[in-house]
Parts: sequence; structure tokens; C-alpha cells
Amino acid sequence: MSVNRDDFSIAFRSALLQRGGAQKFSILSLFILTIIIFFLDVYGFTVVQKARSIINDVVFRVSYITTSPLRIMPDVSTGIAGHFNLKEENEKLKKVIENYKSLDLNLEYLTNENKNLRKVLDAENIINDKTNMVLAKVLIDRNSPFLKSLIINKGTRSGIKKGMAVTQNNYLIGRIVDANHLSSRVLLLNDLNSRVPVTFDSNSSQAILAGSGIKNPKLEYLPEGYVLEDGINVYASGKDRIFAPGTPIGKTTNDGEVKLYIDPNQLSFVTVILTRQNKEKF
Amino acid sequence: MAKINLMTKIFNAGPLLLLYYLSISEVDTNLEKIFEIFTFNLPIIIIYFWILKRPSVMGTGHIFIAGLINDVVMGFPLGISSLSYLVVCFFSNYVRNKSVNTTIASDWFTFFIALIFANLLFFSLLNSFSDIAISYTKIGYNTFFTLFSFPIMWLIFSFYQANFIGGQNA
Repeated sequence: MSVNRDDFSIAFRSALLQRGGAQKFSILSLFILTIIIFFLDVYGFTVVQKARSIINDVVFRVSYITTSPLRIMPDVSTGIAGHFNLKEENEKLKKVIENYKSLDLNLEYLTNENKNLRKVLDAENIINDKTNMVLAKVLIDRNSPFLKSLIINKGTRSGIKKGMAVTQNNYLIGRIVDANHLSSRVLLLNDLNSRVPVTFDSNSSQAILAGSGIKNPKLEYLPEGYVLEDGINVYASGKDRIFAPGTPIGKTTNDGEVKLYIDPNQLSFVTVILTRQNKEKF
Repeated sequence: MAKINLMTKIFNAGPLLLLYYLSISEVDTNLEKIFEIFTFNLPIIIIYFWILKRPSVMGTGHIFIAGLINDVVMGFPLGISSLSYLVVCFFSNYVRNKSVNTTIASDWFTFFIALIFANLLFFSLLNSFSDIAISYTKIGYNTFFTLFSFPIMWLIFSFYQANFIGGQNA
């Protein structure tokens, strides 16, 4: 019996302390080093945060370069396919232009109405002021099973701060959760950690749009007895003082989910709204 | 002769390069787009297999760095993936020290224990020291599919080892 125990302890110690060949460091020493790094990062020491910010910037760029062949290949195949479909595309575009012409007639009226509504919401100049926007390129959109986030190529140097809203074509897609010097992390609306106060329907009903970790987020805390209908537009209510009121998000589905206007897996460029709403003063 | 040596070095570096590539790139073994619940943790399988079969192709220092890179890319607290990888590495080292000859079944069983401990540590630390909320269902799916992907990856890696690296097991 004692032989077995010795055997166990020898194998255990050897597994922890063994070095040699490619194993330049023992597992025990690496365990200790990792634990130190982990706690320094978790408790947010300034030096570690700055170091992490630099490491983030470097790793994100290296990651972007290493995955560029995978991004180029689909573009090349799409380009070749597009070349053979020029005539069809031309006809489609003509139809789109006709459609835009008809929409243009209503534009002036809608712009004025929109301005008036924004005045009511006290959110004028938040979205339409182009100096308050930063266009950023998506560096990494790693589709993790646990976190739905993406990395953009603009950071604190461009005025981006934690909490700012991120949109594409004025549709809300998420918010900044981590801002480095040259890059930032955007938490998408479908992430499990995302919560956004929203408003919808003709009665301006209020609810919370909660990410579920799957493709479409869900509406929670709906008014009591509320029966959700299909196809209702959902907007940010702005009650969190983060997202501009009236920013469109998506449309409701019968099962309580919201189908986002922008597919979070198909993002190449996004816009960061640099203006953060001030906290209400009482 | 020099060309053969170079090729051997390249093939030997294959598993390590794959581990780094999986850590640094957005290429992931998350196949949710194809099948909603299908995700598996390939780096853990790579580490376990190669530390068990050929520790000379996978240094612990590299595993530690790959873990740190993975944390940066994924947005987890620094060191959390490294710890999880090192736990797998420790189990693999232990099994290698204790056993003379292993089969796919014995490797699979010991991998199950290593995977449980690694994931337990990873998600306990994430839950205790971070604000990141994670779906327990997804953790379950991930663990399940990682476990059941192991025999397939074992066969692929064994084939690679036999044909491109050669030599005897550790």
C-alpha cells in the first residue's frame, strides 16, 4: 500500500516539477506566475491595466493580420461571382434607384418631423452631429461560444470611452466595454451581459432588451399582461442615459425575441457615438 | 539532409503553431452558425494529446503564452485560460508518468477528468472574480462536445504523429 502512495507522490511531484527538453519551465512555477498575473489583472493595478492595454493593441493587430487570408478568400470568390452577375445587378440597382426617388419625396417632411421629435426627447444633435462620431473598422469578430463581442481599430486616442454607444447605419449594435489606446471591445446586443432599456409600439411601452447569448436578444420586463405582436419596431428608450433615445434596434418576433436590423456576424465597419448623455440633475 | 531536418522541424512545430493560431485568431472551433449548440475547445485537446504523446513538441512556456493571448483576444481576465491549460498539462504529465502504454479508451477517460477540472477552475474563477455572465447551458454543451470530439481528434493527431513526426511515443 505504501508503495502505491510513494508511486503516486513521485508521479505527482514529477508532473508538477519536471523540466527538460521542450519543457523549459516547471508547471508549478508557471502556475504561480499565472496566479500572480491573474490577481494583478483582476484587482486592476494601474501598471497592469496599462500593460494590458498595450498587449491588447498588439495582439488585436497581430490577430487581424494572421486572419487576413481567411477574410480575403471569401471576398475574392464574391468578386468573381459578382463579375458574372453584372447585368442582373444593374437591373436590381435601377429598381433600387426608382425606389429611392419615391422615398425622396417624403424625406423633407420626415426630416422636419424627426427634428421636432428629437427636440421633445431632448436628444438633438446627439446622433446627427458628425463630429461626435468615429468610424471604426472591425478587427476581430471572434464568434465565441461564451461572449458576443468584437474588436474595433479605434480607441481612447480617438476619444472613445467605456460605455459609448456603437451603431451601424444609425442602428444600435452594442456599446464599448473596454477601451485601449488603439482598439476597443464592443459588447454586442445579443451577448448574455447586454441589457438595454427599450421602447416600442404606439403606446411607447417600455421593456428591457436582454442578450441571450444566441442570435436574437429577448424582451424582458414587459408590461403586465402584454401580448407581443410580430413586426413591431423596437427603439432604445435612452433611460439608461447611454444610448440616444429613438435609436432603432430591431423588430419583434412572436416568441418574444427581437430580430436585430443589423446581423452582428456581418459587421465590417461601425460608428461609435462619442457623445455620452449627461446624467440627469435633480 | 538539411531539407529533411527542416521539414521535420516544421512538422514538429505543427501542433504548437495550431495552438497559437487558435489562440490568436478569430478562427474558432465554435460552429454555432452550422449547428446552434455545437462548440468545442480544441486547444485543450491539442495540449492534452501532445503533452501525453510527444511533450517535446509542446513546451509549457508556449502553453502559458497561448493562454494569455487567448485571454486578451476573448476579453477574459489575464491568466484564466493559462491556468486552465496548465491544469490539463499537469494531468497529462501525471498520466504519462504513471502509465506505460495507453489506448484511446484510457486516454479518453483521463482526458474527461482533466477537462472537468480545467473547466471547473476556469468557470469558478470567471464567476468569482469577473462580472462576465456565462450561460451554464453553453458550458455544458462545450464540455460535452469537447469530450466527444476527443476520439476523433485523437485519431487525426495519431495519424499526424505517425506520418509526419514519427518515432516512439513519450
